[in-house]
Amino acid sequence: MSDTTKNSAERKEADRLQSGGLLSVLKRRPEAGSFLVMLVAVIVISFASNGNAFNPLGLKNNFTVISQFGIIATGACLLMIAGDFDLSIGSMIGFAGMSMAMMLKWGLPFGLGAATPFTAFLLTLVMTLAIGWLIGTIVVRSKLSSFIVSLAFLFFLRGVTEVSFRLINQSTQISGLQDFKETSWFAAMFGGQALGWFYDTWFALGGNINRAGNQWVTGFDARFLWWVGLSLVAYIVLSRTQAGNWIFATGDNSESARANGVPVDKVRISLFMFTAFCATLFAACQVFDTNTADAAKGNLKELEAIAIAVVGGTLMTGGFGSVIGIVFGAITFGLVANAVFFIPSIDGSYYRVFVGVVLLTAVFLNESVRKRITGGL
Amino acid sequence: MAEPLIRTQGLTKKFGPFTALNGIDLEVYKGEVLALLGDNGAGKSTLIKILSGVHQPTAGKIFVEGAEMKFASPRDASNAGIGTVYQDLAINPLMSVTRNFFMGRELYRGVAPFGLLDMTKMDEIAHAEMVKIGIDVSDPRQAVGTMSGGQRQTLAIARAIYFGAKVLILDEPTSALGQKQQMGVLKTMMRVRARGDIAIIFITHNEIHSQLVADRYTFLALGEVIGGGAKADLEHDEIRRLMAGGSDIGDLAKELQDIQAE
Ligand SMILES: Nc1ncnc2c1ncn2[C@@H]1O[C@H](COP(=O)(O)OP(=O)(O)O)[C@@H](O)[C@H]1O
Ligand SMILES: [Mg+2]
Repeated sequence: MSDTTKNSAERKEADRLQSGGLLSVLKRRPEAGSFLVMLVAVIVISFASNGNAFNPLGLKNNFTVISQFGIIATGACLLMIAGDFDLSIGSMIGFAGMSMAMMLKWGLPFGLGAATPFTAFLLTLVMTLAIGWLIGTIVVRSKLSSFIVSLAFLFFLRGVTEVSFRLINQSTQISGLQDFKETSWFAAMFGGQALGWFYDTWFALGGNINRAGNQWVTGFDARFLWWVGLSLVAYIVLSRTQAGNWIFATGDNSESARANGVPVDKVRISLFMFTAFCATLFAACQVFDTNTADAAKGNLKELEAIAIAVVGGTLMTGGFGSVIGIVFGAITFGLVANAVFFIPSIDGSYYRVFVGVVLLTAVFLNESVRKRITGGL
Repeated sequence: MAEPLIRTQGLTKKFGPFTALNGIDLEVYKGEVLALLGDNGAGKSTLIKILSGVHQPTAGKIFVEGAEMKFASPRDASNAGIGTVYQDLAINPLMSVTRNFFMGRELYRGVAPFGLLDMTKMDEIAHAEMVKIGIDVSDPRQAVGTMSGGQRQTLAIARAIYFGAKVLILDEPTSALGQKQQMGVLKTMMRVRARGDIAIIFITHNEIHSQLVADRYTFLALGEVIGGGAKADLEHDEIRRLMAGGSDIGDLAKELQDIQAE
């Protein structure tokens, strides 16, 4: 009679999965939603700022904020895919900045003499990685939620930072450090400029001119390059390597991962160390760029990192997410956070309203994506 | 018959004062399906957890191809060729068929754990192995969450076999499935059996399923073996009686009638 009845004997289970077109494939991608949000943000801000957000200086400043967000959100994203949270990122930024600035001002600990940017960074990194290892080890051994363990470290590290500042420095701020990026290539790697050729070319093509008729902007912040590099490495590791497979497996179903020989505990501890690394990188760029440090640095950054990870399509429950989504999410957040400088009629409150709305939308969107990939299970 | 692939001798397991298993002797041979039957709480899961290295026995020995083995971890058991498909499947639903298939044993080029995955080759192998065992997944990159329960069982079975399982232990593989998918899993088991080099231990509650695929039976009740034998030698009623833990089905029928008569 009809075709359907004739075929029913040959129908197979496998046929029931609709393969669909390009669109339906794209809809399953974790970064689909964040791409659309980014597109809207770029368009709206272009118009509302009369293009000023993307003039040479605007572009540079936007990418400064975007890179800052991107660096910590990449760490938060990989960790979240493995099923954990790190609420200590912000305090870790403050701690690392304090540590580097104090060593540069007061010398290395244990009477090891004056610090160079390299030794200050290295010693700080050793400490932050050790703290990351400690957080991870406590989480893995105690089987407590990483949310609560890292919350403890949020308070602990901030407190340690303030106490250290007061005991050694008598003040919770350091300013007026020597401009190390002028004398040390190592400091310039974090606090200097990068990709000058981009702005040189722009100038050569007849743009990028200041009022005096000279070249206006000479390069991006170095952290832009760090962010690009970090994203690239994180992308390859997550989606193309064995370690990436383990990260997904750990967050999706850790018992199953363990039964199949994935070193679940090592994966989780390594990722806590990775977020500590991202926080240290963030702080190093800040210290060597501005030659200052402050006990309050990095405040609330952990929550912004998590928000960007979620808006970038990472599932709160783990097992799913993408670094490309984080790139889109960081661009969106950076543009909107910076929009106050280009659009006179708004202030920082608008940014927070935006974050709230986008975050909630993203959570619903992610949930529907998850249902779609798992066929509603 | 030849040397059994796996043999246990006096396996005993105590959880504190509670004796979950008391002196289990078991033999399984190549190319056969041994049905392990018994009521809830009989100790079936405990027995297979010992065989697959999750628990260590309080007393008793395990021999694989004649050699005594001690399993300190699931890894040890798996290296000795014991592949277990647990009730909860050990499957990661958000990940692709291929990524699940090779989980923990990925093919890569370069330095572990940052070696680049050879996705093309892994996709090919995963697809081919699934076809061999009777399921043609249209796309090995699809998330396992989109597959039916029967297909997931098949994935777990194909994976265990591909990575060298000589003994396949299936813990109630049909219990959570619909009719048609149950038959699919039974077919998969028969295909594995037909290879002739693998022994299957099939744990089930379902008498009909056991009769469809099993060559031999072992019945457990209250932590002890209460009977067993080749399918050909066991009467239907005897199977039923043993499945009910040894109480007489005839008595039960009478008791039920009495209740009705009241
Ligand atoms: N880890 C454990 N600790 C204490 N008792 C257990 C444990 N695992 C199983 N048991 C007990 O051992 C008995 C056998 O359980 P199990 O092997 O799961 O039975 P089956 O799989 O045949 O239903 C049950 O009474 C159960 O409560
Ligand atoms: Mg059981």
